[in-house]
Amino acid sequence: MTILITQNLCRDFGGVRAIHKVNLNFAENEMRAIIGPNGAGKTTFFNVITGRMPPSSGKVIYQGRDITGKSPHEIVRLGITRTFQKSSIFPGLSVFENVRIAVQTQSGGSRRIFSSRLSLSDVTLETESILDRLGLKDQAYTLANNLSHGDQRVLEIGIALAGKPKLLLLDEPTAGMSPRETERTTRLIRQLCSDLAIILVEHDMDVVMAISDKISVMHYGCIIAEGSPEEIQRNEQVREAYLGRED
Amino acid sequence: MNKQGPNPKNRFLMLLGGLFLLAFLVSLPFILDNRFYLRLATEILIYGLLAMSLDVLLGYTGLLSFMHAVYMGIGAYTVGLFLKYLDPTSSVWVLLLFGMVITAAIALPIGWVQVRTGGFSFALLTIAFGMMLYTVVWKARDITGGDDGLIGIPTPNISLGGWVIGKTSDPITVYFFTLAIVLLCFLITWRIIRSPLGAVLESIRENEERASFIGIHVHRYKLFGWMLACSLAGVCGVLFTLLKGSVSPTMMDANAGGAVLMMTLLGGLGTLWGPFLGAGVFIFAQDYISTMTEHWMIFLGLILILLVLFIPKGIAGFRNYFTTNQHP
Repeated sequence: MTILITQNLCRDFGGVRAIHKVNLNFAENEMRAIIGPNGAGKTTFFNVITGRMPPSSGKVIYQGRDITGKSPHEIVRLGITRTFQKSSIFPGLSVFENVRIAVQTQSGGSRRIFSSRLSLSDVTLETESILDRLGLKDQAYTLANNLSHGDQRVLEIGIALAGKPKLLLLDEPTAGMSPRETERTTRLIRQLCSDLAIILVEHDMDVVMAISDKISVMHYGCIIAEGSPEEIQRNEQVREAYLGRED
Repeated sequence: MNKQGPNPKNRFLMLLGGLFLLAFLVSLPFILDNRFYLRLATEILIYGLLAMSLDVLLGYTGLLSFMHAVYMGIGAYTVGLFLKYLDPTSSVWVLLLFGMVITAAIALPIGWVQVRTGGFSFALLTIAFGMMLYTVVWKARDITGGDDGLIGIPTPNISLGGWVIGKTSDPITVYFFTLAIVLLCFLITWRIIRSPLGAVLESIRENEERASFIGIHVHRYKLFGWMLACSLAGVCGVLFTLLKGSVSPTMMDANAGGAVLMMTLLGGLGTLWGPFLGAGVFIFAQDYISTMTEHWMIFLGLILILLVLFIPKGIAGFRNYFTTNQHP
């Protein structure tokens, strides 16, 4: 079963083509990596799918319905959540509250005006279980702003998970992490992909090769190759465009 | 895992402090035999509520309004006109409802436009819309009295369930009535802020984009914050008219808007009770310093500069020195 299809998806920025005629299919529970040099259009692709900006043309089909041009909160409610290249968390709230508010929103408890926040006991339980999975339980009442960079990135994955996504978009989750943090995050992502589809934008090739089912390569806004990690590693065109330069 | 929220000891201290404060406020008319100061105390309660309502917008939802006093003015003019031209003996409860509803009705379309922006643009729009409303009131001489203000507003009775408590011309009656309404508004707002919906407002303050990417319909909740703040401002306006018996357009001008903002900042954002302290200090200082010099704003400005530089959390920020287990 496919979960997401993009049809001829384009996005221009004043004459500059950020992405051009991107046709991709994503299967349920698939772990897909999108790689490509900086400026290839990977983040723009995420932004167009998640409603942060509308495409210039083309369509986004999610679970058989056209979601092109819907606003971010509508798309989140349909089951697509994301993280950002630069951590986007609630800096002045506790780690617990960061996740709790996302769980609360997903559970539809936000319209309650006069009850206490902690009276939503299933929300509290779900929050605790997510913090447990992230390994942030000991820091539950630390201000998110005071977390280390690596923990902030992990927290953001937790916030995205709290939305109970069927499709999770991770934009360079291990960027700026130490090797140990990268390893921990990789393990976390690998655990997740058993019950949801993940699209991963990542520059760390070790991470990409280790966890992806399939890789799509983007170059100057176009998809130039697609295949299993082994196929991509062997692909001459990819080597020239991307991998070759890094060696 | 640590426990969240105030520990039982702090909660007990808070409750005790609140009860003392309440006892003090209730006995104030019997301590102060000076009518002038009792009126000043009533004014502080009203402006405290106004500053608190701005705190809902600025301290909890993260939206800056430079002209919040305008919405108090609308409430004040609405009931002033109602009393003067329609029903001089109207029930104060009808007036409260009427003032609040009309203020909300005017604030709704403005808010609808404003919440589509954020940050700097939102703040600028509050000035633009506020100036327009102020000018309409100021220039509609035939109805509002223009520069001269609306004077000679009748003073209706305050009654509850058929029992007449007193006349609004009596400072003690007005004081108690104001205290009751302000307390009620404070408690309702306190409850809302601590509810799941209050948590949504805080998340918008912290990171609007992230809030929309966890599925929050940000415009809708920003509009809720705006409407709550403006409705409360409308209530302040009603109380103000009942206290003063007259309304002047200066209560809606940019200076007035700046004054409310100063009260809120002075008291401390994001606390709800801080702005009441801010209003107290501001109005008392205004009264005290202006007996010595006309240029009291210079001194107030000076105090504010020192506050912003050295105690950015406002007066309420001092509580951290008295409570235990507080992490900065």
